[in-house]
Amino acid sequence: MPSIEVNHLQKTFQTKRKAAGLRGSVRALFKPEYNSIEAVRRLSFQMEAGELLGFIGPNGAGKSTTIKMLTGILHPSGGDAKVLGFVPWKERQKLAYHIGTVFGQRPQLWYHLPAIDTFLLFGKIYEMDDRETKKRIAFLAEAFEMQDLLETPVRKLSLGQRMRCEVAASLLHRPKLLLLDEPSIGLDVVAKQHIRDAIRRMAQEENVGVLLTSHDAGDLEALCRRVIIINHGQIVYEDIVSNLKRKFLTQKMVEVRYAEEVSKDFSINGVEILKIGHYGVKLRFDTTKTPVDAVMSHLSEAGELVDITVSDPPLEDVIAKIYEQARETELSS
Amino acid sequence: MKEIKFLLAVWKANLLSVMEYRVSFITQVLGMMLNDFMYFAIWIIFFDRFKDVRGWGVSDMYITYGVLASAFGLVSLFLGNTFTLSEIINNGRLDYYLSLPRPVLLHTVSSRMVSSGMGDFTYGFVSYALSGQYTWDGFLRFILATFLAAVVFASFLIIVGSLAFWFGIISNLTNLMVNAMITFGIYPTTLFDNYAKLILFTIIPAALMGAVPAEFIMEFTWGSLAKLCAGALIFLFLSIAVFYTGLRRYESGSAIQVEI
Amino acid sequence: MKSFKKYWSIFRITLINSLAYPGELIGRSLLIIPFMWIFYQLWKITFEAAGTVSINGMTLYSTMWYLMMAETIELSRPALARTISENVKDGSIAYILNKPYSFLLYQFSNSMGETIFRALTNALFGSVVVWWLVGPPPAPLGWLFALITIFGTWVLNYCITCLIGLSAFLVEDVSPYMWIYQKLVFILGGFLIPLSFYPPWLQTIAKALPFAAMVYGPSQLFVTPSLELFVNVLLMQFIWIVILGSTLVFSYNRGVTYLTVNGG
Repeated sequence: MPSIEVNHLQKTFQTKRKAAGLRGSVRALFKPEYNSIEAVRRLSFQMEAGELLGFIGPNGAGKSTTIKMLTGILHPSGGDAKVLGFVPWKERQKLAYHIGTVFGQRPQLWYHLPAIDTFLLFGKIYEMDDRETKKRIAFLAEAFEMQDLLETPVRKLSLGQRMRCEVAASLLHRPKLLLLDEPSIGLDVVAKQHIRDAIRRMAQEENVGVLLTSHDAGDLEALCRRVIIINHGQIVYEDIVSNLKRKFLTQKMVEVRYAEEVSKDFSINGVEILKIGHYGVKLRFDTTKTPVDAVMSHLSEAGELVDITVSDPPLEDVIAKIYEQARETELSS
Repeated sequence: MKEIKFLLAVWKANLLSVMEYRVSFITQVLGMMLNDFMYFAIWIIFFDRFKDVRGWGVSDMYITYGVLASAFGLVSLFLGNTFTLSEIINNGRLDYYLSLPRPVLLHTVSSRMVSSGMGDFTYGFVSYALSGQYTWDGFLRFILATFLAAVVFASFLIIVGSLAFWFGIISNLTNLMVNAMITFGIYPTTLFDNYAKLILFTIIPAALMGAVPAEFIMEFTWGSLAKLCAGALIFLFLSIAVFYTGLRRYESGSAIQVEI
Repeated sequence: MKSFKKYWSIFRITLINSLAYPGELIGRSLLIIPFMWIFYQLWKITFEAAGTVSINGMTLYSTMWYLMMAETIELSRPALARTISENVKDGSIAYILNKPYSFLLYQFSNSMGETIFRALTNALFGSVVVWWLVGPPPAPLGWLFALITIFGTWVLNYCITCLIGLSAFLVEDVSPYMWIYQKLVFILGGFLIPLSFYPPWLQTIAKALPFAAMVYGPSQLFVTPSLELFVNVLLMQFIWIVILGSTLVFSYNRGVTYLTVNGG
């Protein structure tokens, strides 16, 4: 049974329209006009149990709105959904026992207390046995490498340490589904990696499904097998991550360094030169138009190669391209 | 009930949280006791000069003030978030409580302890002692009356705070209503005609927090007990109804703050 | 003089800003209506019980207008102490030091901007109620004296609340001090009960302290304007502004030195 089933989910917000100034305020008071915002439009998707699904989209795409509907905090304007067999907005409290949530901008840990106090409180909130809670805390402490952090007041922890504890807290009650909304926001590279590793490991060991929303493509690459790209409240693209890169990535970037100085008018047919330095060149080409073989031969014939780097453009570029394509489709239709 | 275990855990976390700042805790408690005394001092000056207000004298005042202070303290200590409910709703903090499997209203309002409440609570007893009217059964009635007055006060605050579901940012309103409750609660009911008394039992139930408990404490009558219990129950019921009605509105997304 | 222009613009912006939420402004001021009404009940009964028209030189009429002025003053105070103590606590006060204006003058202009309209709406609603209850307001001379001395009140209030806010350098939590200050104003400023009703010994003490000059002064002048009282109040205000003002500047400089030497 899929852990999440979403069918034509829809959410429209009405916000009051208010003109500037005092007159506008008075008018808004007596004759309010409303703007309709379609935050989510006929969204449909499924997520299997234990799957690692990513939800990516720019600000205002409808990610947070979708998550809120899936956790039962928000009622949809249309459509239906089932999470772990529950209808979220009808059975919110029951569902809450089985899901964990981490919202990057909304902390769960009590600010003035050591993390462990929040853990113990959560144990009571989820009606866990005291002994069970303590065992679970010890287990999570090891899994997330938090042993020395638990007794420190949360306000004294760095953001990375705090997020680790937050994610651990969300797993205390052995949820079957973990919903993460921008978990790595504001974290440095090392901290991000730590969090991603910990999440991935826990997901595998405990067969927890992970639904992750982000606009950091690195989160997706590291954690998710499948990704849904959402924009303007609709699904724009959906596929597994590796396919995504392969289908949209026909460009390669190459950086070479030569033993002798490079001539200023270094060029190769069908290749875009990005930068020419004293000894190095950076270039980009489309593999569907210019064969890799040809480019490589040209490069090695041009001089004595000392170093070479070939890379894919980052996933961000892929996604930006998808947004662009989607927008063009929308504009032309 | 399992909610009791949960509440005890929340209150324990509240206490621990507050005790992290020992010095602040103590200054708050002592400061509030001093504050309460000084506020009362004005009435001492008044009654020294004017003896009484249609039969309501300084001794009666000590009792009214006492039950008001203790009730206020009780709410601050155990239901501290009733004061900030409108802010919690407006800054989206409510979602945190909504995503957890415990009754939302209870969880939200019990998750904070205001240290100064300890000062109010203690001072209330001191004030009662200073009234010179105390007896052992009076003392028991004081405890019961304080508890019921606290229920009325907390419910009232919840109703006011829940208005945020409809009107958005109203944190000033809560402050003003608290002010009003205290002010009107202290003033002797002998001041008011029936019309005014009606308001003080309903829209701003200060009478249920001050004068009626005081009457009950001074002398047991079935009438005053009934008034107190009925008032507490009605307001409690109203507060739950208003909050959850507002919550439905919040969940349908019509609340002012929208984050997509 | 050019440097003072910026404080004027800060004042103007805060002033306009306070109008941005008219609902809030009006809502707050509505509370003065039931307060005035309840005071009326209290004092009407008290005067009746005393059996005389005037007590210590005050009639019900003058008592009510006194209280209206006192309430207006009290209810229009902005929450300055908390703002400043938060600035101190989270270190943002250090950033303000980088700016090309004086922190103290900036805060003053800011709080004045917040106060003015609040005081106006308070006075408006309060006057309507009291007019309805006891009759038209006192003579214009009273208004004039009150208006002038209110300015002194605001400056004094600013000095004290700013000092309390700055005490965040020393103590963890400044709110108890605000409560005590407010209660001192209540008692010694003749806020809930006109000072003239106090026992003489208490009146003497009160009149020596700044609180009386802040509330009793303008309120009494409003109902019984006399040149002698006016000069007296102005003098007291002036003395206390000098004392408290210099304490403020001194404390502020000490605080800043502490900050720049020790870091945030």
